[in-house]
Amino acid sequence: MLIGNYKVSYAADQAIFRTPASRAWLWVLLGVAVAFPFVAGDYFLYLANLVGIFTIAALGLNILTGFTGQISLGHAAFVGVGAYATAIAATRLGLPFWLAVPAGGLAACLAGALVGTPSLRIKGLYLAIATLAAQVILEWVFTNWTGMTGGIRGINVAPAGLWGFEFDTDRRVYFLVAGLAAFHTWAAANLFRTRVGRAFIAVRDRDISAELMGIDLFRTKISAFMISSYYAGIAGGLWVYFAKVVTPESFPLSLSIQFLAMIIVGGLGSIKGTLFGAVFVTLVPEGLRAVVQGATAYSPDAMSWLAPMKDIVFGAMIVGFLVFEPHGLAEIWNRIRRFFWLWPFPK
Amino acid sequence: MTMTLKSTFAALLAAAMTTAGAQEEIKIGACQPITGRFAFAGGQLNAGLGDSIAFANEQGIVKGKKLTYFFEDTGYDTEKAVASFKKMMAQQNPAIMYGESTGQGKAITPELNSKYKIMYGSTSFSSELADPTTHPYSFVSGPTYSDQFGILLQYIAKGAAKGVRPKVAFFYSDTEFGKDPIAWGKQRAAELGIDVVAEVVAKVGAVDVTTEVLNLKKAKPDFVIFQGFVMAPIPEVIRAARDHGLKTTFMSTFWSMDKGIIEKLGEDAEGYMGVNPYGYYYEDTPAMNAMRKYNERVHPAEAKYRPNSYIQGWFTGMVYVEALRRTVAAGKPVTGDNLMAALATIKDWDTNGITGKVTFVNNKAAVGRVYRANVAKGIFEPASDWIYVK
Repeated sequence: MLIGNYKVSYAADQAIFRTPASRAWLWVLLGVAVAFPFVAGDYFLYLANLVGIFTIAALGLNILTGFTGQISLGHAAFVGVGAYATAIAATRLGLPFWLAVPAGGLAACLAGALVGTPSLRIKGLYLAIATLAAQVILEWVFTNWTGMTGGIRGINVAPAGLWGFEFDTDRRVYFLVAGLAAFHTWAAANLFRTRVGRAFIAVRDRDISAELMGIDLFRTKISAFMISSYYAGIAGGLWVYFAKVVTPESFPLSLSIQFLAMIIVGGLGSIKGTLFGAVFVTLVPEGLRAVVQGATAYSPDAMSWLAPMKDIVFGAMIVGFLVFEPHGLAEIWNRIRRFFWLWPFPK
Repeated sequence: MTMTLKSTFAALLAAAMTTAGAQEEIKIGACQPITGRFAFAGGQLNAGLGDSIAFANEQGIVKGKKLTYFFEDTGYDTEKAVASFKKMMAQQNPAIMYGESTGQGKAITPELNSKYKIMYGSTSFSSELADPTTHPYSFVSGPTYSDQFGILLQYIAKGAAKGVRPKVAFFYSDTEFGKDPIAWGKQRAAELGIDVVAEVVAKVGAVDVTTEVLNLKKAKPDFVIFQGFVMAPIPEVIRAARDHGLKTTFMSTFWSMDKGIIEKLGEDAEGYMGVNPYGYYYEDTPAMNAMRKYNERVHPAEAKYRPNSYIQGWFTGMVYVEALRRTVAAGKPVTGDNLMAALATIKDWDTNGITGKVTFVNNKAAVGRVYRANVAKGIFEPASDWIYVK
């Protein structure tokens, strides 16, 4: 039972793990993550990889939108830039994956710096439209720069290899994805304990006050864009080694919206929320599909009207969450936790 | 001695069981785009494939085996489709799978080749999936889009007056679906003595097509071939072209050849043509009659008309069944390799009017027929015999 949380230093206030129990739970979670590939089948591993890749990408978007307050509708395109850069580095330059994936991150980072430039002059919805333009332009480049991107057919990439070990199955790719997702989650959580990260939050809360405090707005916004796109690029690079093919149709505007949905449902400005959001947006539709599939066993014709129902249910769930908890799943989680701090005593 | 007696007895028992006992089950799974952007065809593809397999069971085409069909909705989303594919492979271990899109076909290829090794058919007519060197387990149940372009161009070349070079424009969308046959189309046109006078790219579902139509007006093509659209902007383009007084013949490939487009176009459908790899549901051929009869019995509510996507699903089912029949008849185990080998032996196979004579070369059957809209009757009628291309 936790009756208080007394802090006597700034370090304690900044700590990611406030109590020994939360640290212990993290170890449990890590244990589960390591044990998972040994018990799960192909289907669940595939979904886990998808969640892992989306987590990295959504973390990037949350750094930009949730923590720095800059809306982006072009996040999927940055994932695409990373994916193409990785695929090109791997196939044209023959780089191994441990160089090709960071190359993807770097390329996306540069693209992000470019697209982020207008953010000095425009913000809010206007910036959203500027980033939407980036999404459209980049998608066009993926399709039409045939010499580099392979046009509509895209690029096929061989599985990642390390000292003769091939990451060719979902089980093996899982270790790659889970490792990188864990590292990037750790890095993001720690980013906001540094001066740069705190500057992001200051800019989000009130950009003019932030500037008065001596924060270089332009530099801060651009670095937020760069870090965010770097995350997207890493996700894109992993995507390439996960899907083994990259085509322009893999990074549509709807994917950008999906990333936004993840961070909004999970919790803007929350690392934990990003994880929840990525899991929710990826797995709930799968769960609903399984329910519909189960129902068709009883009535084969049910599919025709049940199948569209799952989209409606999913949409209603998102609206419901936002109405009842605007701070997202992360806040719901916190509330449940607070309840158990005092349990079994009433508040 | 007792051991040999015992094993002989066991063998006899096993033999008796396979001949007299329960039929062995062969599973066929499908990832179908029943919801999402492809929903206009997904439900019918699913019905066609499922019915075709049920029909084959009734007829007992694959001797001593019972075929079971199961499917999942994928919402025309590549990631969901791949997940669904893996789930079905893990849970049911089917001998044959059906996929919802070109994207899914490409995404599962590495594992299809290295791990699953089963026969894979799909909704796709992409040339890429009909390349046996890179995609040894997948096939296209009909002609690829390139073949469909080849059929149309061959038809145009044949109908041209001596010494006149027909002028053709390609009107396509900026998607994989739209661009797939364009390079081959240009090459084939040059070989056949046809001039490609314009290439116009438009968005799927575009409403304002003024610029595109003006481009056509400048180029004055005799024929315009659409690719990469299903409905919009085809009616818009034809209508605007007629308003501008263009006397062009408009043509399409499979997805824009259902009779729904005639209803949509109304009077402007006059002269609209295109290639269909299969016959129409209302045609008077033995196979279509049997298909209609089956529908009247099993789905009386929908027996009046079935769109082309239903026929595509049905034909894909027929190909599965034929490959299974040949494999089982040869006494070989039902594996992906054996099924694909059996597919390659299909030559001049008579489908009694579902399509022409079917020969699988390079994992595709390059046959189709040119149809023309009959506005008064609201249907498509054959404008040529079955055309075979290489």
